[in-house]
Amino acid sequence: MISEITLFKVALLLYACALVIYLVFQFRRKEKLALAGWVTALLGLLFHTAALIHRTVASGHAPFTNMYESLSFLAWACLAAFLVIDRVFKIPRAGFLFLIVVLAFMLLANSPLMPKEITPLVPALQSYWLWLHVSITLLGEAFFAVAFITSLMYLAAASREKKGAKPAGLPAEKLDQISYRCVAVGFPLFTLGGLVLGMVWAYKAWGTYWSWDPKEVWSLITWFVFALYLHTRLVMGWKGKRSAIIALIGFLLALFTYFGVNYLLTGLHSYA
Amino acid sequence: MIKFLSSVKLAITLIIVIVVVSILGTLIPQQRSPSEYADRYGGLAPLLMGLRFTDLYHSAWYLVLLSLLALNTVVCTLTRLGPKLRKTFRPRLEAEAKALLAFKDSGSLKMNLGLKETTTVVRKALAGRRYKAREQREDVRIIIFGRKKVLGWFGSDIVHLGLLVILAGASISSLTGFRAFLKLEKGKAQTVPRAGFEVRLDRFDTEYYPDGQNVKDWKSSLTVIEGGREVRTEVVEVNRPLAHKDFVLYQNSYVQETKSPLLVFEVLDPVLPEAANKILLRPGQSSAAGKTGLILSLQRFEPDFIRDESGLISSRSEELNNPAAQVTLSRAGENLVSGWVFARFPEFSMAHGSQTSGPTIVFRDIRPGISPDFSIIEAAQDKGAALIWAGCGLLMAGLCLAFYWPTREIRFLLEGKKDRTDVTAAGLASKSREALSSEFAGLFKELKDHA
Repeated sequence: MISEITLFKVALLLYACALVIYLVFQFRRKEKLALAGWVTALLGLLFHTAALIHRTVASGHAPFTNMYESLSFLAWACLAAFLVIDRVFKIPRAGFLFLIVVLAFMLLANSPLMPKEITPLVPALQSYWLWLHVSITLLGEAFFAVAFITSLMYLAAASREKKGAKPAGLPAEKLDQISYRCVAVGFPLFTLGGLVLGMVWAYKAWGTYWSWDPKEVWSLITWFVFALYLHTRLVMGWKGKRSAIIALIGFLLALFTYFGVNYLLTGLHSYA
Repeated sequence: MIKFLSSVKLAITLIIVIVVVSILGTLIPQQRSPSEYADRYGGLAPLLMGLRFTDLYHSAWYLVLLSLLALNTVVCTLTRLGPKLRKTFRPRLEAEAKALLAFKDSGSLKMNLGLKETTTVVRKALAGRRYKAREQREDVRIIIFGRKKVLGWFGSDIVHLGLLVILAGASISSLTGFRAFLKLEKGKAQTVPRAGFEVRLDRFDTEYYPDGQNVKDWKSSLTVIEGGREVRTEVVEVNRPLAHKDFVLYQNSYVQETKSPLLVFEVLDPVLPEAANKILLRPGQSSAAGKTGLILSLQRFEPDFIRDESGLISSRSEELNNPAAQVTLSRAGENLVSGWVFARFPEFSMAHGSQTSGPTIVFRDIRPGISPDFSIIEAAQDKGAALIWAGCGLLMAGLCLAFYWPTREIRFLLEGKKDRTDVTAAGLASKSREALSSEFAGLFKELKDHA
């Protein structure tokens, strides 16, 4: 039987291969290269899925109860989101940047800093709400990650277009629209998983749906910033650069909510 | 004033202020003691406490900020709702060919049918695509507006309504919410304050994982007693509360009394093997070790032994992580062995006697359960919770409508000429225009086939 760590490492390796292929694609723009990158990443995703299932079976609980598990799941969700968005909007040039983000999460998960042993679940986490709350929230953040990359690409493309250079990939306007579409997927998911289901679970487990715990406050902050993105865009008609910057900030805040709060601030969410 | 309150700019300013202030609130530890703030922030402490940055989320000015945002949301939504409702229920059906053709998805064609027949064809094409049509006649001109997914227009309003309902629920929770912690002893009943019923703890179990170390669950079997009658019995555990009337009972924590446990020792004496029998002691007690003439006394017990740099001994916690006992073994008033022994580390002993080959003391076991375990049950009455869930439902429904139920409109202008009809049409959608484009193209093709 292949071990979970082996499956995880194969996935990591395949992601690295996909990254190299997408890097080559940056310079030699052949359709086939983009397809090869996509397929390699998908193959990696399959191994990664197997690793997650393996761990779920072995531990008997959802594969996101500590930092190693949830980072691995976040990387998985990000890549899945990218593969879908790439099918819909054809953004292979985002592949290179995106796999850097995915690999960063994978390497961080793989680092010795993250204990990988399966630990018994504390009573508070034994609930099906764990599955719903965490997976939907991270999936929402994965779409924010795609918006982050496409916003970065927008800024690059817009400055190129301003200088009158020929666009290297998609035109800036298209990238701006893709960012918006990603936020339009990520925002409802994040609202549902992070805030609504978080409140439901807190009410079940702690007896209060909101306790101004730092993780809750930071989720709210992240949510407010994306609400700002939507209002400035849909009501005030902001587009392009200003929208892209808000999306960038939004993803960084989501990342801090997920990651930074655990290490820098203390609170009720002390598990993962 | 209304104009000021209805501006999106105010909303944006408020959101930015709330975000910045909230961040500060997470950086400053909340609801600590004044002395802790004095240690942490020195001279800044009084200022931070005075501005309520130390209990920010319950401070009046934070609540004012939230209320302003809520008020802004109300005014904003209401001022936009009127025109939207008019557009939905009493739209002004106006169309000029030129204006229609200015839209991205538009076109015109000539149908070799009379005005009446053309109208039928158009209405049928719209109905086939689930568009609801409205019609207006002006002699030789007919204007038709076909619409579908009109609810999508109101997605953002439903989101805002949901948020306001959530805020209303939160206000009710914080104004009328009540919670109490009950320290329940096995077999005994206690009145739940303000609830009008009692609860009795029938059983309290701590379940461990197979490793015997990590707690898997705490389960309290509770019986609700109302007016002397047992109403229901249910097991409450973490993540599974019991709801009775408008109270919810949660497994909050437990208290294990380890202060006065019964400890089990063994005295091993190479000279007197018969000494090796079990001696049970509570702190402060002494007992003879069989008929050996040895007397074992237990001075002190620490459940989680720790010795600091200065040699001071204490417990790190109430958990039995490193149970240690301070014992003395004596014979006829002469101390043979004295010091600390550890249950987890029998080979490591800080108890030493004058002779190295003399008797040794082994700390075998701790027997809890002599003093009762208490289950801490939290009883909460939260009348705002129902509104919170209703608000969450509206919020999610609104988001789905706003993003994924885009209203589409197709406007037609039919102009009757002698034996034919000029048709001009345009499609409008605020979101997912690609889908509209293909639908419009399909519809237009269908009409052409009739032409």
